[in-house]
Amino acid sequence: MSSEAAPASRGVGVALILIGIGAFATSMNIGLDQYGRWGARLFPLGGSIALLGLGIAEIWGARPTPQSNKQHLPAILALLALSLGYVWAISAFGYLISTAFAAPVALYIFGLRNPLGLGAAAVLCPAIYHGTFFVALGVFPPLGKWFDLLDVIGGY
Amino acid sequence: MDIFVGLASVLSDPVLLGWVFLAAIVGMIVGAIPGLTASAAIAMLLPLTFYMEPLPALAFLYVIGKSGRYGGSIAAILFNTPGTAASAATQLDGYPLAQRGMAGKAMKVATISSVIGDFVGEILLILGVAWIASIALRLGPPELFAVYFAAFIVIGSVIGKSVTRGLASAALGILVAMIGLDPISSTERFTFGSFDLTNGISLVPLMIGIFVLGEVFTQIESRGAKTEMVANDQGDAARNRLSWAEYKPCLPHVIRSSFIGAFIGMLPGLGSAIAAFVAYGEGKRRAKNPEAWGSGALEGIAAPEAANNAVSGPSMAPLLTLGIPGSTIGAILIGVFLIHGIQIGPTMFLTSRDLVFALFACGLIGIVMYGVIGYFGAAFVGRFITRIPTHVLYPIIFLTSFVAAYTSRGNLFDVYVMVAAGFAGWAMRKLHFNPAAFVISFVLAGGAEETFRQTMLMSDNGMMIFVTRPIALVFLLIGIAAMAARVRSVNRQARALAAGTSG
Repeated sequence: MSSEAAPASRGVGVALILIGIGAFATSMNIGLDQYGRWGARLFPLGGSIALLGLGIAEIWGARPTPQSNKQHLPAILALLALSLGYVWAISAFGYLISTAFAAPVALYIFGLRNPLGLGAAAVLCPAIYHGTFFVALGVFPPLGKWFDLLDVIGGY
Repeated sequence: MDIFVGLASVLSDPVLLGWVFLAAIVGMIVGAIPGLTASAAIAMLLPLTFYMEPLPALAFLYVIGKSGRYGGSIAAILFNTPGTAASAATQLDGYPLAQRGMAGKAMKVATISSVIGDFVGEILLILGVAWIASIALRLGPPELFAVYFAAFIVIGSVIGKSVTRGLASAALGILVAMIGLDPISSTERFTFGSFDLTNGISLVPLMIGIFVLGEVFTQIESRGAKTEMVANDQGDAARNRLSWAEYKPCLPHVIRSSFIGAFIGMLPGLGSAIAAFVAYGEGKRRAKNPEAWGSGALEGIAAPEAANNAVSGPSMAPLLTLGIPGSTIGAILIGVFLIHGIQIGPTMFLTSRDLVFALFACGLIGIVMYGVIGYFGAAFVGRFITRIPTHVLYPIIFLTSFVAAYTSRGNLFDVYVMVAAGFAGWAMRKLHFNPAAFVISFVLAGGAEETFRQTMLMSDNGMMIFVTRPIALVFLLIGIAAMAARVRSVNRQARALAAGTSG
């Protein structure tokens, strides 16, 4: 825990205000109950107004902040793209094939360059996770819409 | 008396003891890995426990939390990197000792102090929790809403580096919890026409995203960094032996810090890190040798370690008595209670009393287990962690988070939620928002809204009902006072910083 306070930032304040305005507008579209009361709107409105107020407070105390280090942004965006692609691939090709693809890519993003290691991950990771969660624990596996290796290997 | 029955039933169940033992080891390892926290491990393992009986599931996660808090001290002393925020204070005196070849002695002090602190906290919980629950049963909706309100404000404003961003994290948590159907009128809220969103956002993928995937994103920024253990070859067995004469001066600090930690643990959201720093500050203020603190004083290890572990038991009190999680681990445990159909709150002591006391018994046994393992094996755990390559560990955690998020409900939409929460968790850490406040507020929002609307139905004078009910008023004032105190302290820091910069 560091006791040093983070400086207020204009960008964060503007973002909070924009989220607050969006949430406020959406909250006002929440339907009234059968007696015409605001019951379901109250808490969403409270949260939205709080965000608006906090955004204004953040801008009020804003000071110039040092430029943040963007050196790792490409790797973070690559991991985000892999995450989204991985979930989509699970829905299209099932768990085994998509994990065989995602495991070496994740290792590569984290700096592993050994081809043998990457190849082993492509085989071992799907096998171990599938065996643990979908065979041993009995969770129903996510099946691919387009193709699923489980259809070929008979469910195992 | 209930605790003795609980102890007897736990000790006669070897499988349950096996789970507690496993949890003691897993927690210690996870807590000692820099960057990983017990919360992350618990969030990741949570879906696995859905397939277990309620008591082993709860005991497994509860003991991981305890052992994980202790495990942070291993990293603080041996690697000069706190494994958890709570062990940052331990590092101040632990690492200088390790550099002088006395890592073993420092670890022994940390272990004994953690065990004593944890025992004090657990015993206070056992003695006080049923009494608090009996009081909680008498609270009406206005009082309960006031407790929720105080919790939101304290969680949002007291922890973290920025008051506005902490409170904004809490407000965002409330808004995300509103997604789905209104539980009273079934009106759609924030669903944007999506069928998947009508069921709301599930707690488990949200937590896995924020605490696990978010940490994986954060760790990318330090990829390639190697965990280096302090050279231990200059240490010898004689220097690392801990005598009673050496530990005796630590005892008053341990006892005082245990009570400090237990008190802070009862307050929702404050947690181990604050307890450790408060105990360290108070210990140094009262020490006979304050000048030695920070350069390798054994008391400087004992005080924060006792405090951060004493938080563990009492932090369960608001969860078990009011259904309000006092910590992120408490918020995660709610998922286990819910999935096993156990209603948390004051009535739990009427409906599931045996389970609660058996869980406390598992906690006591878990403390003994991690104490013994830590006393004799902390150095081995440290060496083991230096052999785990982070460029392999974090991709494995990355892959596990996906399958864990899916396993909770067998739904790929939850995995998308987890990815979104993971990225949001990284952004929150980067921008000094407070992920813990976000998650705890997400958990609290449903109960807070329900009690608020019940209060409004009860009231003839609208919001004035909170002023006419003394207990409710006290809690509202506690929340406002906590925020005012924090704003004052942050402003004072900012002024001091500005004066330092200009001068």
